[in-house]
Amino acid sequence: MNYEWDFLVVFRHFDFLLQGAVGTLKLAGMSMTIALPLGLMLAIVRILRVPVLSLLSVIYIDLFRASASLILIFWFFFAFPILIHVDFGPFTAASLALGLQAAAYLAEVYRSGILSIGRGQWDAARALGMGYLLAMRYVILPQAIRRVVPVIFTRLVDLLKTTSLAAAISYDELVHHAQRLSSDTFRPIETFTVVALMFFVTIFTCSQLTRRLERHLARSD
Amino acid sequence: MSEWDFSFLLRRYHVILDGLYGTLALAAVTLAVSLLLGIIAGMGRTSRSATLRAAATCYVEFFRNIPALVQVFWFFYVFPILTGIQENPFISAATALSFYSGAFFAEIYRSGIQSIERSQWDAGKALGFGYFRTMRYVVLPPAIKRMIPALTNQSIEVVKLTTVASTIAYHELLYQGQLLSQTEFRPLESYTVVAAILIGILVLLSYGSTRLERRLARSE
Repeated sequence: MNYEWDFLVVFRHFDFLLQGAVGTLKLAGMSMTIALPLGLMLAIVRILRVPVLSLLSVIYIDLFRASASLILIFWFFFAFPILIHVDFGPFTAASLALGLQAAAYLAEVYRSGILSIGRGQWDAARALGMGYLLAMRYVILPQAIRRVVPVIFTRLVDLLKTTSLAAAISYDELVHHAQRLSSDTFRPIETFTVVALMFFVTIFTCSQLTRRLERHLARSD
Repeated sequence: MSEWDFSFLLRRYHVILDGLYGTLALAAVTLAVSLLLGIIAGMGRTSRSATLRAAATCYVEFFRNIPALVQVFWFFYVFPILTGIQENPFISAATALSFYSGAFFAEIYRSGIQSIERSQWDAGKALGFGYFRTMRYVVLPPAIKRMIPALTNQSIEVVKLTTVASTIAYHELLYQGQLLSQTEFRPLESYTVVAAILIGILVLLSYGSTRLERRLARSE
């Protein structure tokens, strides 16, 4: 093996990679903005057992969880615009695909949290004269969400990792910028090594913080 | 106004079949290799030797914290330079996805092995078994039974992951869908068919795994 590594070329264009990283964070932020509230709504609707709506919520959750993220991204970029006669760019397509899918995953997390709250809490809320929605809002949800915060964070870190797939529809995020940089500099190995390390440092740090948060919450319980 | 029109599939169904074969072949090889990698790394994580533990921890943390797509690209470019062989999308994708999934399988094995009480190890020792025989005959059988739900979940993730190989032009379902959409000018139908087929496979797999879990739970 007589390959000469040259990382200098990559570092000379490091600002280009950083621009990509900003794109990654934007996409992750947008997807989370969609997923966090939508997931909660799906979970509540599923638990409420509203005749048609609950069934739809179950179908939604199962369908998105059984889909591969990359296929969803392609579907929302190439197929969905034809269906609704609206054209949109890679950012919208990728945020929709990833956000809607993350919502399905998060719905299951919220649901497990809500179901883990004992009957006694519901009875206590009723004794205070609260109806279903008030009890959910003021008694059940605060406790339920607190319990599942670490799992939610794990899901969000997963989402950050998944945003890399948006490179496949040429959305300007880190991996896509890496592809462009490596074809400009003919240094794909160095470029992708640097990008891999950037992802590793970010995601590893996030996972460690999540683990510490989990331990902290477990202790204060 | 576009009308759904799937008729081109009757002419070109072999494109989809090729993709289906590509997906299943990549998934099968990746699963076999990553289950093996996972068990090795899982044993490393639970080993008494600090060096082995550190090595296994490095492997797990490194590979599961880097997106699969980045690893696929990396192996795709590194292989020809390391081996002198021409780029091969199948080998690059199988290697990258195996390392990636292996790290997740390792964590499943680790928690399974750690769920077995210490006394089982002592029982193995009392029978005159060494480490490997105790692992093989005493610890792993009940541990694997407990791991089955997590293992089947992760296996389903592996099947979904194979779509990532389309980015290095490996001919699996998604890549063949792209091909159809470009040659037939029917993106809506092409991507919908591909999505539906993969969802179908995954629903079948998860149905099978639930039945397996229920049978195992009964035999407990």
